[in-house]
Amino acid sequence: MKLGTIGANLGWLLIFLSLTLLFPLGVSLYYGDGNWYCFVEAAFVGLITGGLLAFACVPEEDIGHKEGFAIVGFGWIMSAFLGALPYYFSSAIPSFLDAYFESMSGFTTTGSTILNEVEPLGHGLLFWRALTHWLGGMGIIVLSLAILPILGIGGMQLFQAEMPGPTKDRLAPRIQDTARILWGVYLLFTVLEVALLMLAGMDLFNAVCHAFATLATGGFSTITASVGGFNSPWVDYIVVFFMILAGMNFALHYRLLTGRGRELLKSSELKFYLTVGFGGAFLLTAVNLYHHTYESIVDSFRYSLFQAWSILTTTGFGTADFDKWAPACQFVLVAFMFLGGMAGSTGGGIKNVRILLFLKFTRVHIKKLIHPRAVETLKMDGKKVPADVMQSILAYLSLYLTFLVAAILVVTSQGLDIVTGSTAVIATLNNIGPGLAGVGPVKNFAHVPAVSKMVLILCMVAGRLELYTIAVLLVPEYWKGARLPIWRWKRETH
Amino acid sequence: MKIIIVGAGEVGRHLCQQLSTENHEVVLIDRDAEHIRRIERELNILGIEGNGASPSVLEEAGISKADLFIAVTDMDEVNLISCIMAKEYGVERLVARVRNQEYISLNSPLSEHRLGIDLVINPDQVMAQEIVRISEISEAFEMVDFAHGEVVLLGYRIKPENPVCGLTLAQLRDLQGLYHFLVVAIVREGQTIIPKGSDIIQPEDRIYIVVRKKNISATEKLLNLASSAPKKVFIIGGGRVGFSLAEELEDKGVDVYIIEIDAKRCEFLAEKLDRAVVLNFDGLEANELIAEGIDQADLVVAVTGGDTTNILASLLAKHHGAKKSITRISRPDFIPLLGSLGIDVALSARLVAANMILRFVRRGGVLSGALLLGGEAEVLEYYVSSQWPYIEKPLKKVKFPEGVIVGAVVRDDEVLIPSGDSVIKAGDRLVMFALKDQSQALEEFINP
Repeated sequence: MKLGTIGANLGWLLIFLSLTLLFPLGVSLYYGDGNWYCFVEAAFVGLITGGLLAFACVPEEDIGHKEGFAIVGFGWIMSAFLGALPYYFSSAIPSFLDAYFESMSGFTTTGSTILNEVEPLGHGLLFWRALTHWLGGMGIIVLSLAILPILGIGGMQLFQAEMPGPTKDRLAPRIQDTARILWGVYLLFTVLEVALLMLAGMDLFNAVCHAFATLATGGFSTITASVGGFNSPWVDYIVVFFMILAGMNFALHYRLLTGRGRELLKSSELKFYLTVGFGGAFLLTAVNLYHHTYESIVDSFRYSLFQAWSILTTTGFGTADFDKWAPACQFVLVAFMFLGGMAGSTGGGIKNVRILLFLKFTRVHIKKLIHPRAVETLKMDGKKVPADVMQSILAYLSLYLTFLVAAILVVTSQGLDIVTGSTAVIATLNNIGPGLAGVGPVKNFAHVPAVSKMVLILCMVAGRLELYTIAVLLVPEYWKGARLPIWRWKRETH
Repeated sequence: MKIIIVGAGEVGRHLCQQLSTENHEVVLIDRDAEHIRRIERELNILGIEGNGASPSVLEEAGISKADLFIAVTDMDEVNLISCIMAKEYGVERLVARVRNQEYISLNSPLSEHRLGIDLVINPDQVMAQEIVRISEISEAFEMVDFAHGEVVLLGYRIKPENPVCGLTLAQLRDLQGLYHFLVVAIVREGQTIIPKGSDIIQPEDRIYIVVRKKNISATEKLLNLASSAPKKVFIIGGGRVGFSLAEELEDKGVDVYIIEIDAKRCEFLAEKLDRAVVLNFDGLEANELIAEGIDQADLVVAVTGGDTTNILASLLAKHHGAKKSITRISRPDFIPLLGSLGIDVALSARLVAANMILRFVRRGGVLSGALLLGGEAEVLEYYVSSQWPYIEKPLKKVKFPEGVIVGAVVRDDEVLIPSGDSVIKAGDRLVMFALKDQSQALEEFINP
């Protein structure tokens, strides 16, 4: 493994990310919230560090699969670091750990916050919060693949390490074009949602921030009361619609847009996703009516539908305090947290396709118990699922459970009660946002002890990158044979 | 350009590598899913698992938008059918690898023109032709024709005792007198250099010179690289390459000894060849080789199916006095080793066939292109259009990209070996040498 290649690419990534700080800088200057200097300082730190890295390390050869993991893994850890600087420099969030938590929660589209009230941040920082969602949603690395020319060969390694799902759709022969298509569709939907939200009465600033948070399945709002604070059924339904889109595979969107919509009907993962989402929404509506949480069927449907999709797509917006809902409703929502969106979406969680294949796999095995000599193949959309894909799914689930149990153990051992502790881990590992009880939708993560916060930060990034990318970096064997960079000044004297 | 390649073998892989780095959209089709995934991970291409002659697979690969279709699987039949299929989908340019001459020959009803295939490659034949060309000038390890064969590019290894060692290229230029030639590239310790006048020739350099064909022998004498055509050639391995090579050399009046381990194959060879001596023994048996007079051989060509056998047979023959060896290597991984082992010329069937296809692919403004040893540098031919900003200016005023040199200028059937004072005119054809990573820059420089 060549640390030089890793260092140089990370340097470029940092430079690139520092330039995105210009957007919140513009917003801050426009609204005159007085925080402009913190973006300038952060961009300065980013440019200097990135510049030094990119200058000092001479990239060697192409990016192999080992380098790919490190670039993506450290790329995300570093991005969150840069993202935390504006919060910290502006003293809006005085503790750096808290600022880092907020930033990582932004980039990983989790949406968990440590802020009691978000309004005091001011327009610039609120915009930055939403922008980190948007960048992280489709992926920082995928974006840089789409627009930076430096990552050509070896881009596939990076794409695979960042895009969610057990198998990756390639939409064009060149990886850059695939990345451009995905970001293009993403941008198109964002613009659409901004327009619709403005028609529903939002101002431009709120519409853009909420569209960023919806399509990234993030969950940061510009007001403490989240989407519920707008008190408009139109806004609710528009956001639900775009959450559903964001939780779908973007490759399917592209095919629909290019007139190959028939493939959507064939996708059993899409059927599963829609059935589970709407089924859950109806179930919640009924249970909420039964328990008289809401008196009218219209209200019950509106809040249940929103909350079901908000959690299933791992967005985490709130229009209702589901912590006060009936236990059965809470259980449904916690179960939804694990499911997440479709593979290739911006959502987190385990992903529908993995659950679906896991269920199919179980069924095949039960059938084998009845007919021991039967030959059974695992099929998905009429095609055989290769054994290695199924194996990687099983390995993923086992890694996922290990991670979950270990993280809950640490968090509860620090004194959080079992509901708060376990849902805090579930909500961060699946990139949802709010959990239950102490971290419920109207509460926040500020009171969580420091070590637990670190664990939750790790959960967020591991969850966003689907565990393997981060897990691999923690294995000592991975680092064996790492070669120090060739420093540029040494090469020149050579 | 969108390119579909069928067959992820050595040739297919090499083509993918070259074409994807040149920013083409490449789709690779192969039946071996795992193989495809591996190449897809390493290179910037789209891999599709399936049969390259199946319409549904071709459609998945986006055949209707493809500009070029290359079928290079191991099976002639698949290659031909998939090309016929691609033609029906409207692909304009088609390339097929066909080993068995009988399918497409003059008396076959399926000629390549009838099938609409633009380039048919027979890797064995291409390989045999390449060996014949190299063998004609004994000290050159590489030889490439340009401008209808008027000019040639020759590669030589400079021996330590050669008096040109230590001379700068400028001094060499003063020495040349009547016979114009130009050193266009030097390969030193594995690094390819496009030289300037101040560069010094060092022992063990491989130099590439451009010279008019009729001046080859005079130039070689001048540079102490004199040569004579081989009189006695040993061919180890009587497979398809060995056989067509023996046929060609026989026609040139060379004494050919062909060694083949398989008795049945020997009978076939003896039947088909006239004057060549067909010998039935293992090419690694030193006693037999000596008895047949290997010490007087001008050239040994090892073209058995196994790389290790070829390497060992070449070394053995050279040890017992053969003057020069040409060795077929199918695993490109071995090529960097061979120089230090003392093998003169290593040819990979993959590189030879792939070069020919690449030359064809680049035939837009680029008239011909070949990779110099190891693929580090490239030879390209360009037409100068009347819009080019440097027309009517001497070469030394033209700001070419770094690592690029003009090797020859073809003007109205006349070939000039240029100097800094040569003037470029519209309609000239430039034979250019460029480091591989510079070929894109050069393309942009010539066609801005």
